[in-house]
Amino acid sequence: MSTNEKPSKKPGEVETTGHVWDSNLQEYNNPLPRWWLWGFYATVVFAIVYWILFPAWPIGGTFTKGLNTITFMDDGEEVTTHWNTRSLLARDMQTGRHAVRQREMLDRVGDMEYEEILADVDAMSFVNAYAKGSFGTWCAACHQTGGAGVIGQYPNLRNDQWKWGGTVAQIEETLVLGRNGYMPGYRESLNSEQLDQVASYVLAMNDYDLDADAVAAGEEIFNGYLGGCYQCHGVDAQGLASLGAPNLSNNIWGLVDVPGAADDEERVSRVASFVHDGVQRVMPGFADRLSETEIKVLTAYVHSLGGGQ
Amino acid sequence: MSEKAATAGSVPASTAVPSEQYNYEIVKKFSIAAVIWGVLGMAAGVWIASQLAWPFLNFDIAQITFGRFRPVHTTLVIFGFGGNALFATSYYIIQRTCQTRLYSDRLSLFTFYGWNLALILGVITYMAGITQGREYAEFNWQIDILIAVTWVVYFWVFLMTLLRRNQPHIYVANWFFMAFILATALLHIFNNIQVPVSLTSPHSYSLFSGVQDAMTQWWYGHNAVGFFLTAAFLGMMYYFVPKQAGRPIYSYKLSIIHFWAIIFLYMWVGAHHLHWTALPDWVSTLAATFSILLLLPSWGGMINGIMTLSGAWDKLRTDPIMLFLITALSFYGMATFEGPMMSLKSVNALSHYTDWTVGHVHSGALGWVAMITFGSLYHLIPRLWNTKIYSLRLIYIHFFLATIGIVLYIVSMWVAGIGQGLMLRAFDEYGNLAYTFTESVVFLHKPYVVRAIGGGFFLLGMLIMAFNVAMTILTAKRAVPATDASRATAATAS
Repeated sequence: MSTNEKPSKKPGEVETTGHVWDSNLQEYNNPLPRWWLWGFYATVVFAIVYWILFPAWPIGGTFTKGLNTITFMDDGEEVTTHWNTRSLLARDMQTGRHAVRQREMLDRVGDMEYEEILADVDAMSFVNAYAKGSFGTWCAACHQTGGAGVIGQYPNLRNDQWKWGGTVAQIEETLVLGRNGYMPGYRESLNSEQLDQVASYVLAMNDYDLDADAVAAGEEIFNGYLGGCYQCHGVDAQGLASLGAPNLSNNIWGLVDVPGAADDEERVSRVASFVHDGVQRVMPGFADRLSETEIKVLTAYVHSLGGGQ
Repeated sequence: MSEKAATAGSVPASTAVPSEQYNYEIVKKFSIAAVIWGVLGMAAGVWIASQLAWPFLNFDIAQITFGRFRPVHTTLVIFGFGGNALFATSYYIIQRTCQTRLYSDRLSLFTFYGWNLALILGVITYMAGITQGREYAEFNWQIDILIAVTWVVYFWVFLMTLLRRNQPHIYVANWFFMAFILATALLHIFNNIQVPVSLTSPHSYSLFSGVQDAMTQWWYGHNAVGFFLTAAFLGMMYYFVPKQAGRPIYSYKLSIIHFWAIIFLYMWVGAHHLHWTALPDWVSTLAATFSILLLLPSWGGMINGIMTLSGAWDKLRTDPIMLFLITALSFYGMATFEGPMMSLKSVNALSHYTDWTVGHVHSGALGWVAMITFGSLYHLIPRLWNTKIYSLRLIYIHFFLATIGIVLYIVSMWVAGIGQGLMLRAFDEYGNLAYTFTESVVFLHKPYVVRAIGGGFFLLGMLIMAFNVAMTILTAKRAVPATDASRATAATAS
């Protein structure tokens, strides 16, 4: 062997094919490297074994099924079929370790009342783990990972402002049906001075120290015929969950970036501009997309985020 | 043997052959185009890589967002840089190894304008949002027709030149080019069978639908890799490696065997891009096993290239062009090992839809395709202009920048892809998926930054090459007036 291979490693001793191109292009006629040839045979063996075990060659309208089988439950009956990816998925979802464990926990939580879930450390641990994924999939696009929302656009779920109510029943309703939030714009009914006055009044309810005359005038608009804000937000501005009208006196700001404003003048102008424009927003319902248990898990999770009501 | 001795002895060194014997003008045009598209295409690549790391870089301008700019990048590097380099080298190699001038100057010029017009139109339409939505075949149907016509003319020029050869045998490089031209015609035409919305609309529908459509697309997609980016560049390798090494090809037998094995096997493997989809399981199996069968035939090319240098390894110390060529072959060997592994269903379950795929493509595209092209162009360009390269030192610098760039790129994409794949399949103690998709995106940021830096290194090398090439050509042109007089007298005398 070694004596046979030696010449091939010493150039000049092996014969070329005798052809010459472009003045000096030639080819040695070295034999195929042994390891290369055996390597190639090994891949052929690998391929043949693979073909014997798995679906491989088409024959007419069918194909060779391979020796591998998969056993799984189909409509309550045990079925054994040749290896294929659909049955593999079915079996994995039926008997796979992770799938079984997750189903067991979902069933357990599904059978519990909200009060039990919220009080059960194990159940809540599962709820937090499961909802991390489902909240991330369905909710985080708007409410953000963790649920802090985006001020001016998407509600923060981690604070005490529960626009549509913070009981588990109300949160579940929000998830099932979705919500349509609407406040009319006052560009037609209030002039800019009046808008500033309403804004001053709303800010004053949150302990901002503003011009007393403007605040008084604003209160009159808020609770009077001209503005009529009290009809949704209430005379004491405590909000009304059935309409999605937020409490305006708790210094929690979801839609108007009051905390981000530099001074009183900017605060007033931001609130006034919001009242001028009004707002309309939609959260979709998830009844068609999530199972009852999944909604239950998400409800418990969202309730726990901001502490619920 | 006597023939060999006679030819080797009597024919003067390659550079001394008068350029009138061969059509070098067309080779020059394609070479320059390759360098220009290379700079633009790689710049586009660095730009979109940076967008992935820092999304604000799209500046909310629709024309330069990732979705529209990515096909600009892939088209320019594959078809602009790679394609023009293949036209240049194949026209050069076939003339020199057949000892005959190209069949037709005008038709070959047509291929130059047809091909590059298609590229320009492609860039404009992609940025305008017009695309066929088929990866590496995004050109809309009118441009597809232009490409098809150009390609048929290319085939005709190549074939007729081959038939007019003054050599009894066809050199191995030309087998690969011929296979590449034929297969690419087949792939391009069948993957672009479209029903236009109307004769004036750039939009069209694919004739195929569903899984057949996907299957056709990836039959095309992987053979674009197999024939365009592999077989053709092996043709390049089979000429420039022995030329630059000044040594014969290691094994004629190996070249025959691995040529036919590659040509036969590649056509089957495209479906490995569609594992775990609606694709029938038997198609998946065939694609996976044929990919495994392809490993050693691919390595045949690598062995033949690297072993050609056996006995002249000292050249690696003194010749940066040889460094490019041998490094290219090493990356070729690595990428063609990684590819079959990734085509196995179980590995693919982890790697698919992750950046591992992107890294794999680039170890082939940067490591193999671009490096072999750099080496070949550095060999080719001084000979075309009958001069010396402007700076050998800059070739060294280019080599090291490119190598650092590739290593950063591949390693960061391994980290990104394998990390992403593991995150997306991780479970917590309750059997829930442990990570959200968003978390995997957050994880990708750092590898993306490293990738963009790697791409930057590679681009910098390309810019240095463009400078070196430009200076080489300018120097040659300045030297021409001095010799013009003697040439003129020679021409009138003949």
